[in-house]
Amino acid sequence: MAGTVTWARVKSPWVLHFNSGACNGCDIEIVSLLTPKYDVERFGIKLEPSPRHADVLLVTGAVTKQCAERLKRIYDQMPQPKFVVAIGACACSGGVFAGCYGVEGGVDKVIPVTAYIPGCAPRPEALIDGVVKLLNALSPPKPKKQPKHPKVVEAPKEEAKPEAPKPEAVAPQEAKPKVEETKPDAKE
Amino acid sequence: MQKSKIDIVNEIVSKLGEKVQIQLGQLGKAAIVTSNGLHRDVFKAMAEADEKTAIVAITGLDLGANLGILYHTRTSNALVTVKAEVPKENPKIQTITDIIPGAVFHELEVTDLLGVIFVGNENPGHFVLTDNWPMGVYPLRKDVNANEIKLNPSPPEEAKTAEEGKLTKIIIGPQHPALLEPEKFAITVDGETVVKVEPRIGYVHRGIEKAAESRTYLQDIYLVERICGICTTIHACDFCETVEKLLKTEVPQRAKYLRVIALELNRLHSHFLTLGHAGLEIGYETLFQYFWRDREPIMDLIELTSGNRVYPSIMTIGGVRRDLRETDIPRIKSTLVDLRKKLPFYRQVYENEPSLRARMKNVGVLKREDALKLCVVGPVARGSGVDIDVRKDEPYEAYGEIPFKEIVYTDGDTWARMNVRLDEVEESINIIEYALDHLPTGPFRVKVPRAVPAGEAVNRVEAPRGELFCYIKSNGTAFPDRVKVRTPTYANIPAFLKTAIGENIADVPPNFVSLDPCFSCTDR
Repeated sequence: MAGTVTWARVKSPWVLHFNSGACNGCDIEIVSLLTPKYDVERFGIKLEPSPRHADVLLVTGAVTKQCAERLKRIYDQMPQPKFVVAIGACACSGGVFAGCYGVEGGVDKVIPVTAYIPGCAPRPEALIDGVVKLLNALSPPKPKKQPKHPKVVEAPKEEAKPEAPKPEAVAPQEAKPKVEETKPDAKE
Repeated sequence: MQKSKIDIVNEIVSKLGEKVQIQLGQLGKAAIVTSNGLHRDVFKAMAEADEKTAIVAITGLDLGANLGILYHTRTSNALVTVKAEVPKENPKIQTITDIIPGAVFHELEVTDLLGVIFVGNENPGHFVLTDNWPMGVYPLRKDVNANEIKLNPSPPEEAKTAEEGKLTKIIIGPQHPALLEPEKFAITVDGETVVKVEPRIGYVHRGIEKAAESRTYLQDIYLVERICGICTTIHACDFCETVEKLLKTEVPQRAKYLRVIALELNRLHSHFLTLGHAGLEIGYETLFQYFWRDREPIMDLIELTSGNRVYPSIMTIGGVRRDLRETDIPRIKSTLVDLRKKLPFYRQVYENEPSLRARMKNVGVLKREDALKLCVVGPVARGSGVDIDVRKDEPYEAYGEIPFKEIVYTDGDTWARMNVRLDEVEESINIIEYALDHLPTGPFRVKVPRAVPAGEAVNRVEAPRGELFCYIKSNGTAFPDRVKVRTPTYANIPAFLKTAIGENIADVPPNFVSLDPCFSCTDR
């Protein structure tokens, strides 16, 4: 049973995005991930509006003092096990705002962080790489079981090299009517 | 449309005569030195003479024994600054919000950060500072070391969603699926009708204005452009132009054109972002995905010309950091041609799509009089029939030489505001194509000294969201004495507070997104 839960978590992580006082640079790149060119829903990654449904918390920004309390509260609202990804130089260390009177200077000053994705702003490819690395770390090494599901298993091998699946995936997304169909699929 | 020819300085002199001291050519067209009480007469005179009189920003200065207050005021054809001073022991000055209602937020910010009390416009709590910031400590005063301030241990209890008799209070934010950024709005509704909107900004207040004082001008470019990740290029451009005014440096002609190209690419991606976001907020997710799909080629162009997607960092004092390669020009042009081909589809969607019209037409109507009173800027003002565009009013860089149309709609609703942006996309494409065709040869930057001569300068530019204002006071060293940035969203939020009242609660998101809100700009 635990194996099934982990499998489900790795194959369909629901992420919550929280802007803790970022400049929007990282945030627009996160939104880019959901749109046709990068489209992370093909990895089962879905942006969730509520912390109570989320597995992964994506935090951007240097954590302003006004937001720190709220960030802690949102983290507490997430069910176990939970993972925090600090996105961007500010979330990792305070970045250009380190030393400003309004910021705490990094997500790890307030809540524990599982993965750091540096960059100002990190490219969408870097974000995909970071999340996929996090997911790979979660999945237990079970090489023998995997061949039973040939289609599903092939995906993580490609994901390890984030650059590889991109050119193939971009082309079909150009087709216009496909866009609407993503919604019902993701809920399943 | 014909631009007004009123000479505001002559008007003030004719009305107030010897009472005020006029310093021509300083801080805009002229600086008008007044005192407490007299400044109200100046504003009354200006408001009578010119209907477009609006507060651009209020800068607070720590002058030692006194606190200086600079009211940067925009009229239809000039920027003037009204100066006043109050002693530090008794920092009280009369408010001007009854003459110019749009000054409310600007006054409250100065109160919070510098401790000037505007009699008649007081706020019991903090406005931009965090809730547990100790009262009576003002971070922008020179004797305050803001990094060593001990915060109060527990922030006050936040108000919860509660029924107050017939009325219900709904809290939106700081974390909310409709808001990409943390900010809180307490919306009181009677049934489905909005009765009151109380904003709490400051969730993204990082203290950039204070931090800028401890960094050199060159370092500040990178700090200032990180005020906002969407309109980043224009922030850097505004800062560089202001410093160039202090240095009295003339930027090479080629750099001016390269700056225009960078700025318009920035405007294109910002407008596509907003147009898509509006689709998301009205539940038209397909439109959101279409716009964001077509935004990616623009991001590729930004990357092509600067090496980075989100932060081009192309502006520098004295020009631009990178030249444009001749070999890249055909690719930019072909991408723009492709982009232009997609515009008729979007226009047709905005014109004919019934669901979109139902959610946007007659939603959040801002009348022209209100737009003028509330001092709104950019597409919000132009959607309400107020023809202000800094690119036309006070051409900077190469905008004076490039032909383009100023887009004005008179409907004043959400639909009009989004259409202004859609039309501006086409104008931006025209501008970039013209600039590429007429790109002058020569150097793309000049060397400038590190230390900047003492003085003050103001500058304004047209960001994607509207007029962006920058004030810099230099003390002759490599570090600025005061940097003030007034961002367009800060000026536009009062419009939302006004138009949301009396509306259906479901119309709040499309109305709000039509302002193109950017809170990281707002709070700094």
